[in-house]
Amino acid sequence: MGFFNLKGTLKPLTSLKQFAKPPHTIRYPEVPVEASDRYRGFHYNDVEDCIGCGNCSTICMNDAIDMTIVDQIKGEKGDSGLRPRIDYGRCCYCALCVDVCPTGSLSLTKDFINVTNDANTLLVTPGIDNPEAVENISYSSSTEWSLNNFTRIPMEELEGKERVKCFAEVVLGYTEEQARQEADRCISCGICTEVCPDHMHIPEYINAIAKGDDEDALRIIYDNNPLPEMCGKVCTRRCEDVCAIATRGEPVAIRWLKRYATETAEASDVTREIVNPEIREANGKKVGIIGAGPSGLTAGYYLALRGYDVTIWEANAKAGGMTMYGIPKYRLPIESLEKQINYIQSIGVKINFNTKVGKDISFKEIYENNDAVFMGVGFPKAWTLGIEGEDAKGSMQAVNYLHMINSGESVEIGDKVAVIGGGNVAIDAARVARRFGADVTMLYRRRVKDMPADWEEIEGAEDEGVKFEPQAIPIKVHTDDNGKVNGIEYLKAEMVQSEEGGRPRPVAIEGSNIIMPVTAVFAAIGQQGDYSFLDEYTDKVKVERGRFIVDDKQQTTLPRLFAGGDSANRTADAISAIADGYRACKAIDEMLLDKQ
Amino acid sequence: MKREKATTLYFGPQHPGITGNMMIRLKVEGDTIVKATTEVGYLHRAFEKLVEKRNWIQSFTLMCRFCVPEPDPVENTYARAVEMIAGIEIPERAKWIRVLILELARMSSLLLWHAGQGHSLGLYTMGQWSVGDRNYLLDLFEELTGARIYHMYVWPGGVRKDFPEGFGERVLKTMDYFEKKLPDYDNLLFENSIFQKRAQGVGIVSPEQIIEHGVVGQPLRAAGIKSDIRIDDPYEVYEKLKFDVPTQTDSDIWARALVRREELRQSIRIIRQVIDKIPKGEVYTKLPNPQKWTIPAGDAFARTESVRGEVGMYLVSDGGNKPRRAHFRGAAYVHAVSLLEDVLVGANIADVSAIMNSLGTCPPEIER
Amino acid sequence: METFLGKIKDRISVNFDLEKSSIDIEKKRVDVQIRKEQIPSILRYMKENMSFRHLMHASVVDWLEEGKFEVIFMLWAPKEKIRVFVRTKLDRENPIMENLDMIWPQLNTYEREFKEMYGIEFTGLVAPEEFILEDWDGPPPMRRDFDTEAYAKDVFSERIGREDAQDVRETIAKRSGEVIPDFAKKHSR
Repeated sequence: MGFFNLKGTLKPLTSLKQFAKPPHTIRYPEVPVEASDRYRGFHYNDVEDCIGCGNCSTICMNDAIDMTIVDQIKGEKGDSGLRPRIDYGRCCYCALCVDVCPTGSLSLTKDFINVTNDANTLLVTPGIDNPEAVENISYSSSTEWSLNNFTRIPMEELEGKERVKCFAEVVLGYTEEQARQEADRCISCGICTEVCPDHMHIPEYINAIAKGDDEDALRIIYDNNPLPEMCGKVCTRRCEDVCAIATRGEPVAIRWLKRYATETAEASDVTREIVNPEIREANGKKVGIIGAGPSGLTAGYYLALRGYDVTIWEANAKAGGMTMYGIPKYRLPIESLEKQINYIQSIGVKINFNTKVGKDISFKEIYENNDAVFMGVGFPKAWTLGIEGEDAKGSMQAVNYLHMINSGESVEIGDKVAVIGGGNVAIDAARVARRFGADVTMLYRRRVKDMPADWEEIEGAEDEGVKFEPQAIPIKVHTDDNGKVNGIEYLKAEMVQSEEGGRPRPVAIEGSNIIMPVTAVFAAIGQQGDYSFLDEYTDKVKVERGRFIVDDKQQTTLPRLFAGGDSANRTADAISAIADGYRACKAIDEMLLDKQ
Repeated sequence: MKREKATTLYFGPQHPGITGNMMIRLKVEGDTIVKATTEVGYLHRAFEKLVEKRNWIQSFTLMCRFCVPEPDPVENTYARAVEMIAGIEIPERAKWIRVLILELARMSSLLLWHAGQGHSLGLYTMGQWSVGDRNYLLDLFEELTGARIYHMYVWPGGVRKDFPEGFGERVLKTMDYFEKKLPDYDNLLFENSIFQKRAQGVGIVSPEQIIEHGVVGQPLRAAGIKSDIRIDDPYEVYEKLKFDVPTQTDSDIWARALVRREELRQSIRIIRQVIDKIPKGEVYTKLPNPQKWTIPAGDAFARTESVRGEVGMYLVSDGGNKPRRAHFRGAAYVHAVSLLEDVLVGANIADVSAIMNSLGTCPPEIER
Repeated sequence: METFLGKIKDRISVNFDLEKSSIDIEKKRVDVQIRKEQIPSILRYMKENMSFRHLMHASVVDWLEEGKFEVIFMLWAPKEKIRVFVRTKLDRENPIMENLDMIWPQLNTYEREFKEMYGIEFTGLVAPEEFILEDWDGPPPMRRDFDTEAYAKDVFSERIGREDAQDVRETIAKRSGEVIPDFAKKHSR
């Protein structure tokens, strides 16, 4: 190559062919460029769908997202009331906040231009400061692309056909690996804790399970629930209804995880070893408790830990109340409950069995000999149907039937049973009767979807071959010559939407009478209290609509007397009873220590 | 008294010929450099320290920032290192998409090199064209990943999203455009006698230096050694693709430029094959909750062939939910420090910028 | 492949007194751990006698709990396509090892970085005092006991207007009267 290279000089001049051609990129006058369909620009948040779980704030590695109080959002059950606010001085537009959003309310938009002289305007609450951005959503969350896991680890159960042969526990429980995987799904927001009547520390114990620290999980659970294994098996688990993951998927199996953690301790002394509770020195105060149901046991356990001398009077031969006598053993095996009660007794709670207050010992004696008294007496009496033939042989209360079966008695029910009602007691009685080989039909006034029973229980009953006869209003129990039940007569009903709104009401159709031949009828339409044991104190302890009037500390209108459980709250489940017992314990502790 | 002949000259950190924020302290005698010292420290962002405070998924968003012109090889290296320790198998389609995005990144970075190399020798039109054309690639990136520069797209477990509707055709259309355009680049740069005269015989890397400094990428191939991580230590689906590894023997700026010229064409060839052969299926393996995801204790060293050569990530897990250590090595870590200091000795001041560009200097990669 | 990797391992262990060694067939990798005094000789042996000519990477890991720094040299044989990781552990209290940049001059850069970021001394290293950090007089920042967050809080100020941020868990616990016991808090998010 010489000094002058003609080709190498002329070739670059071909660039002149671009002369006067329009430029590739920028047009003049400027045409705004629309960003692509998955562009990651500024945020938009659907504040109505958002539940304020704060998962976006947790994943943000730039610490750019704050959860703040927002005027138009009220914090209530299932919503923390907080909404994310982004610091665009820190945001890097990685969109991990969108990928972890369990509700899918957070998304990114095509907007990306923000020119300002004031750095403080970089703080933006998406959805509230930029409602118009809803038009421009680009990068949004879907269940397919989410970093959340919306599918629950399935719980293994016995086959329906196998189940009806015996009283073996239906639910088999998680294995260690399954529990770890299921615990991994929890995003630890804690929204569930608000709806739990007992406010258990749910995210903490689930995280402990996820980390493989089952012992810590058990300790956290025992912080405010002394019957966790029972709850782990039969709790009504309202926590799962508000689970953040449940907004677009299946809720975290909080109940089964609690069950897993409690079952890792196979005996009561192992529980004691793990929980290793601190028992305070005896303080010389005495507390009497009527009824060894969940609320009484809870109050007794935590009062005993605080150094009180606790005595429980229980009418039945075993403790546990409805959880012992009302819940069928295929849901809650007797050994499991006894293990928990043994543990409670082992820390110093005294229980007098077969001692009915009002008969074997007077209420007055208990009230006068103790510094404080707690009543967890429950609803022992069932509501009657109020129809003809109800007293016939073979017609009985479902709750009494369960009580007898759980006490080990044998009950003659024949081969065809009708259960009236749609609650958990009705389902339990139906499934128990199936296990005795009976053909069971459930009569319910409304539709199946209106049944107050747990959906898992309804499905379980279906699997086991229980038949459903919805929209059926019983009017008469037919009997044979010996006074034994041989049929039930009912009317079909149609659902009528009342004018004021609310849920549709069943209205009987005239002349639609059907007589179903049966050998037994179980009524399960609810229970009520029996407060005759109060005797001369009846006037002093006020009762309203069948329940004791209590304040927010579970104190009744009689000083030093506290009440909890079904006879004091409207939710009528075990976890509410436990919550009542725990609250009463704190109130009694406060009251008695203040007096000193 | 003998007069000191050498003068100290500070090249950078603010200098139109320097690639990014770094400085070279030059000792010159007349026009000739007698000693060069690289001084960095203007861009240290402590990413490796930050990664130790972030969980496995959070860390991935930092990776693209290690090297601005080509973020994807680093993302890919991190993702594969995590997968190697955790033992995750990713879907087949995700591997193909990763190859596509790596090759698009290679093209995009090579176009920037065209601009930089031209710029360093006063050929400004080259840069205007290639950076303008690069925008068409950025449009593709934006469509696929949602961002133009920091894609945050390749993550442990696969890639973040699948192709949008009709994406393959638009990729091919863009490739058609480039194939039509490349002869113009030849006319403007490679046929240009200014470029030829300035590039030939300048910035020679000797065979000894190659081993001593662990030289990788085009400087290695321009010295006649056929070495490419895509073939030597294959990853993703490069084994299933046909492409050539161009080599030259002169080991100067010109030889490296010719290697790069050919690599741009090979990338187009690979991209066409990917679009043609890509299988259907999932693009992402479902991973556990990012906040709780722990990876068994272990370590891995993953390597990717970036545009400037091999980049690697040494990743250590102590069994926790955060990396114990993530140590990144970019090609520039050796090219722009120990190698550059050696190569510059004896060079002319006017060639410093061209040599830096030719060796693929990228200060953010040195400091991280 | 297994026997080949095994042979490499055997050949190294014949010549050097290894503390630990293992092979990984899938990653085509041999791992050897050795006392720091033998590092220069093993690296030279690997480079000159065993065709591991390419130093892919060198790294340091701080095992704070053990009180050790682990230094790793990652070697690559371009022909055989095999990796060998040479590791050594240094006492964290007194991290000194010999300068190695005569074997691979590129190690000079690495050593400068390790010295600055971990405080590891390389006897005989000739290099400018500063590498990445400028006028830094704190502890070596990549050590795990250096708290980046505390440093950032100390040196930089927060943007005003963010003080009203709430914690979701605490907000809910406060509203429902839940008292989270201290021993459970380590499991909160």
